[in-house]
Formats: sequence, structure tokens, C-alpha cells
Amino acid sequence: MISQGLIIQSLISGILMGGIYAAMGVGFSLTWGVMKVINLSHCAFGVVSAYIGYWLLKNFGVDPLLSLIVIVPMLFVIGAGVYELLIKRIQHSKDITVSSMLLCFGLGILIENLMLYAWSASPRVMNTRYTGESFFVGGISLSIPSVIGFILAMSCLAAIYFFLHKTYTGKAVQAVWQEREGSALVGINIDRVSMITFGLAIASAGVGGVCMAFMYSFYPSLHNVWLLFMFLVVIVGGVGSVVGTAAGGLILGIVMGLSGALISYQWVNAIVFVLLIIILLIKPQGLFKV
Amino acid sequence: MKINKNILISILMIFILGVIPLAKPPIYLMTLFLTMFMYIALCESWNLIGGYTGYLSFGHAAFFGVGGYTTAILMINYGLSPFLTAGIGGILAVILALIVGYPCLRLKGPYFAVVTLCFAWVIQIVFLNLNFTGGNVGLWLPLMKHDIFVTRAIFYEAMLILMIIVVLFTIHIERSKLGAGLRAIREDEDVAQTLGINTTKLKLIAFGLSAFFPGIIGGIYSYYITFIHPSSMFDPTLSIILVLMALFGGRGTWQGPIIGAGTITIINELLTSFIGAEIARIIYALLFIGVVVFMPTGIMASIKGFMKKRKKASKN
Repeated sequence: MISQGLIIQSLISGILMGGIYAAMGVGFSLTWGVMKVINLSHCAFGVVSAYIGYWLLKNFGVDPLLSLIVIVPMLFVIGAGVYELLIKRIQHSKDITVSSMLLCFGLGILIENLMLYAWSASPRVMNTRYTGESFFVGGISLSIPSVIGFILAMSCLAAIYFFLHKTYTGKAVQAVWQEREGSALVGINIDRVSMITFGLAIASAGVGGVCMAFMYSFYPSLHNVWLLFMFLVVIVGGVGSVVGTAAGGLILGIVMGLSGALISYQWVNAIVFVLLIIILLIKPQGLFKV
Repeated sequence: MKINKNILISILMIFILGVIPLAKPPIYLMTLFLTMFMYIALCESWNLIGGYTGYLSFGHAAFFGVGGYTTAILMINYGLSPFLTAGIGGILAVILALIVGYPCLRLKGPYFAVVTLCFAWVIQIVFLNLNFTGGNVGLWLPLMKHDIFVTRAIFYEAMLILMIIVVLFTIHIERSKLGAGLRAIREDEDVAQTLGINTTKLKLIAFGLSAFFPGIIGGIYSYYITFIHPSSMFDPTLSIILVLMALFGGRGTWQGPIIGAGTITIINELLTSFIGAEIARIIYALLFIGVVVFMPTGIMASIKGFMKKRKKASKN
């Protein structure tokens, strides 16, 4: 018999996890929406940042939260560099979505194997002071790392939302998303906007990767699994929308949490993917696209 | 005269490939070629939907796996040889493709790609959790009653013949009215529809045909590999690698998949066995990035463009 407590428990842990998927997915969604680039190497950068966080923690005892101060700017620069070196060259090809998928797939393999070479394939766990600790709210246990990860993810989403809606550059990014040629006509430097978007997207992947590392073990080829969830989150939420991505992440988390509690574990992914197929068939623009 | 020369060269090459096993080459070499033939055939059939029609299917592993499981189950339970039952696997794959394709082919671009990827994933999970498919344990197929060299040679010839059939079939489609219709869909589906092309029907036919051969190949492959498991037969990496091979060589031409699948298989296998997996994959990834950046439409299109330029230059 499934108790009510179990359902609430799995619902909450689902939401906590979904928030992190949303934080990672928002960058994926931005590059797809603004630049029409489907960055298949997106999550590979997330795994890279998880490794950097792990490495800083292990060798210098830096808390992962603190190490984000280093990781985020670093990944922003890497992202901007990748844009300048690679993505920029295929911006004018006939079918940018397809070429970018191919290019980023290559990049993903490259990063994954460099990681394999440097850190081997064995799974790693971040052991912080608070790993394994949890507190109780009305009979429901909340693990501290998950809560920290969730709060971090939500602040990342909020920061990106603020950037897009309140700052001058952010508005330019939105303009390019809505009407590429029109925004070029009114004097927006599309190259610069794309570079910033890509840097930002990779940085958000970095935050998501560190958040994930709080809760689960990670290994180089993990990014393929994350990538599938990225597609899910972004398609459910609507490409290019921050609020939609957040909602998509939470919905994914809730569905996974609930189906994990109600039916046997091995069918969870099947349910999730069937749901995605149904959503795609009924409303391919995403549930939250205005 | 020029076409006749090309045909003669092709027949000669096929003949040479066909008699290679008589020269008793090392088994490793034969396995390499066998794998290459398989990928070329798979990639060529993917080309029908992904290349000519422009619908990137990321779910072809599902058809491959269904074919493989069909023949495996028929072999284990009824003792029928996979060479006889491979066609049934192909037909089942077509039925599956039609069921899935009917609703999904309305989606375009990346959405279709994601739907097919998820569909293959769902099928994999279903096969992992059913009883008659052996579930998580997998299925063992009986070995052939020959020594290993003869067995390999038989599969080598089987894959070679399959590859030739698939390539000839694709050339035939490319030159037929169906092929022209599919290309029209790729260029502009709305315009094609206005011109009186029944795009839904054509897309379904293309999707069904492109599922048929992977079903057959999967059946032969399961007999060759003798142990099948959902994680190897429905491997999403297989679906993705097919797409990449086709894009690499140049999709929408019958030569593209041959070049793409041929080079990538050889590079992948040779580098992996000679200099270690990680470095091989790094080189392989750099190759991908290089081809996309410098030849954005695939190798084949770049070669064609280069030839055209040279012709123009020589005329002037």
C-alpha cells in the first residue's frame, strides 16, 4: 500500500531535482531559441564544471558553493571562446540547426574523452561537510545538498530571467530571438549577442552541473543522459522561454517523482518519454509558449 | 560510354569484395569489412527518410532491434534459420514504422528528431521489461555448425549482398518519381503539397521503406553476434551514429552514406585497435568538427562542388 507520506516525499524530491534540470536546461533553451543552435555538448560542459568543483574540493578544500565564483566566469569565457572559434563559422551555413548538431556532437565526444583521459571513467562523489545530512519538515525529510542545489538552481534561473528582462543587453538577446533580421536592422550586433548568449548558456550548464554533483555521483559519459532530459525540459516548456523552462523542469521532476513512487522503477523513463511524445504531438510549440 | 565504364568498375569491385574470403584473409579483416557493409546498408536505408526527405530520424536502432529480436525468438522457439525469417523482421519493422510514422511525421525538424529518439528509447525499455524477449538477461542464439572462419565468411557474403541490394534499391528510388517527390518535400513541403504531391503518403512510404532494411540487417546481425540484449540492439548510439555517418558523407545522395559510413567505420575501428579508445575518439571528434566547419554540406557535396569548379575552369 502506498502511503500518503511516500507520495509527498517523492513529489518533493522530484521537484528538487526538476529545478536543477531547469537550471541546466535554460541555457540549452536559449541557444536553441536565440541562435538556432542545438548544442548537443551542453551537458558535457556541466560535467566538466562538476569535475572542476570536485577537484577544487578535494585538493584545496574549497566548498563547491564558493568554487562557483571561479567556475561560472570560467565557463562563460570557454563558451564565448567556443562560439568565436567554432559556432561563428557555421552561422551562415544553409541549415544551421543540423550543422550545429553535428558540430556540437563532435565537441561533446571531444570533451567526454578528454575527461576520460584526465579523470578516468570511475564515478565520483562530492563529499562536502553537509553530504548525507538532512532535516525534517512535518515528517518529510529534505536532504540538505538537494535543497542547496535547488536554491542555487532557482537563483540561476532568476538571474537569467532578470538579465533578459531588465538589462539592455538582455533585451537585445530577446530581440534577436524574436526577429533576427529585424534586430540586425535596428543596429544590434548579432555576433556579440550570440557570443554572450552562448557564454551564458554554458555558464548555466556549469551551475546545473555543480548542483547535480551535490546530489548524485557523476562520470564523463553522464552528459548523454542529462541531454535527453534537456530536450524534454525545453520542449515541454517551449524553446527560448525561461519561465517555460522552469515549469518544464518542475513538471519533469513531478512526473518522475510520482511515477517512481506509484509504479515500478524501470518504467519511469518509459512513462516520461511517452508523455513527451504525446506533448510533442499535441502541442509541439511547448505548453507555455505565448 | 562513361556510365558503362562506371558500372564496369563497380561490378569489378563487388566481384573482388565477393571473392576476398577465398583468399583466407585474417578473421579480423573480414569482421572489419562485415561491420562496414552493415553500417553502409543501415546508413543507406536511413538516407531514404533522413537524406532525401529531410526528416532526421534518430530512432533507427528501434527497427534494427525489432528485426534482431524477431529472428532470434523465431530461431530459439521454432528453430527457423534467421536467413529465412529475416524478412519477417523487416516486415514487423515496417509495421512499427507505419504506426509510429503516421502521427509523428507531422512534426518537423528537431521535433521529429526528438520524437524518434524517445520512441526508440521507449521500445528499448519495453524490451528490457518483457518476458518473452529475455528481458534484462538477453537471448542466446545457437551457433552455426561450421568453424569460425566459414561462419564469418557466410556472414561476410550475406552482409555484402544485403549492402548491394540496399544501395541498388536507393539508386532506383533516387531516380524514380518517388525520389523526386521526396526531394520536393525536403526542399519545401508546403509548395510540394500545393503542387499536388500527397506528402503524408510519400513520407510514410519513405519511412516504411527506410525501416524495412534495418529490420532485415538486425535479424542477420543477431545471428552473427549470437547474443542479443536490449542495450546492444536498441543502442541510441547506433541511431545517432547512423545520422552522423550520413551527414558526414553527405545526405540525399546515394554515394554519401557509402563514403560516410565507410570512412567512419574504418577510422573508428582501426584507431581504436591501434592507439587506444580515448585518443581514437578524440581524433574522431576533431574530424567531425573539421568536416562541419570546412565542408558544411558533407564530403560528397564538397567533392561535387570541387568537380564543378574544375570543369568550369577547364572550359574557360
